[in-house]
Amino acid sequence: MSFINRVLTALTLGSLMTTPFLYAAESSPTITVGTQEVGLAVGYILPHRLTEDHITKQEGPVFMPSWMITITDPLGSGWYRGQVSVGAEMVYIQFQEPILTHGVGFTPKIKYSFVAWDRIRPYTEFAGGPFWSDLTGKIPEESGQFNFILSAGFGVSYFLTDQVALNIGYRFQHISNAGTSYPNIGLNASLPFGGFSFYF
Amino acid sequence: MGQFPSRPLISIALAMTLGTGAGCSHWIELATPIESTPPANTTVATDARVPLLLETIRVTHNGSSIAPPALLERQVLGAIEATRLFSQHFQSGHSQPAADQARVTVRLSIDNVVEPHAGQAAWRGFVISASMFTLAPFISLSYDYAAEMSLETERWDGQIKRYHATSHGSAHYNLFGANPEVIEQLKGQVTEVCLSSLLNQVIQDAPFYLASKEHPQDTPIRTVSVGVRRSLPRAIPVSQPIEKTSPQ
Repeated sequence: MSFINRVLTALTLGSLMTTPFLYAAESSPTITVGTQEVGLAVGYILPHRLTEDHITKQEGPVFMPSWMITITDPLGSGWYRGQVSVGAEMVYIQFQEPILTHGVGFTPKIKYSFVAWDRIRPYTEFAGGPFWSDLTGKIPEESGQFNFILSAGFGVSYFLTDQVALNIGYRFQHISNAGTSYPNIGLNASLPFGGFSFYF
Repeated sequence: MGQFPSRPLISIALAMTLGTGAGCSHWIELATPIESTPPANTTVATDARVPLLLETIRVTHNGSSIAPPALLERQVLGAIEATRLFSQHFQSGHSQPAADQARVTVRLSIDNVVEPHAGQAAWRGFVISASMFTLAPFISLSYDYAAEMSLETERWDGQIKRYHATSHGSAHYNLFGANPEVIEQLKGQVTEVCLSSLLNQVIQDAPFYLASKEHPQDTPIRTVSVGVRRSLPRAIPVSQPIEKTSPQ
């Protein structure tokens, strides 16, 4: 846990150091069609054993560099007014529990950002794609190293400047192999995360 | 002796190059307005020209009034200035022509309609993502923009003329070709075409805006060529305008 503590401390200090930029830029961030976003999110997975067959308590830090592109102008009106962006994300998980193992995946993702609140922009997102891990195969829930990872969640972006935003959020994460081998009970986890995005 | 790469390898490399290129492409289709009259060019006496006062620019965006962007104001004033039909150009809120001086006052109204096809873009974006971006070169996204301009000109003696012009165009792009500049280019080109159409109609009425002056027989009359200076858009006109332009 000391590692994640260090990461969270760095993110908190980073946000405090850059907060004055908020007051320097008064205009609302303009995200238009074609605006690209690169970001990095860091989180920690906490297991959910949904049935009696789930016994593995997988835990560990997660690193998620991502790229996205906005494909719509704001849709709708009122509180749900927002924009759609699509992109892709690399997922790296260092499973520290039950045994030190690793997982890496590539997930296309889609995100809907609510734009009604100026610099504070909540969002929902969904991502899914192939995932390789040397943990699966060593636990009773999964039998092979090739899996798929699905995640759905929500978060909030806080624009420090027109181009830089801090993000915090939560995802529910599911790892299984889509029936390509058995057993295939799947691993489920909560993933609180924080990070930043750069828009250009 | 070096070995030539195998045929499948060349094919894959070619497909990837073409796919990436196609996936980054974008193009703009512009509906060029049909002028009610051919492009106007005429010669007027320099001394007969009067100053112009751009009194108001009213802009709406999908029906909602917005503050006219400074760039648009400059574009409009620059286009009028380039016709050389008027001796001086003033904008309301800045320096004004002398109160007793003959002038032409203009009021411009611009209604912009944007159709970003957001629902379609969201759905197609989802499909492209779900295909791990392999469909990106084959699925295009669209963005439509239309401008409708109404110009009211009031001569120094209170006579009023009104002009009307419309133009529209579409930007098509693949996912990796999406770029804010593509949309800005589309908006700029549609505005340019619409403005040119409007000013062309004004040039047709050039004598209306000239102060008739008697010239001494022994002095030569200095003249200036007036007309709409167009920067031709790099776009392919593919269809007719949504409405025929005509002065009212």
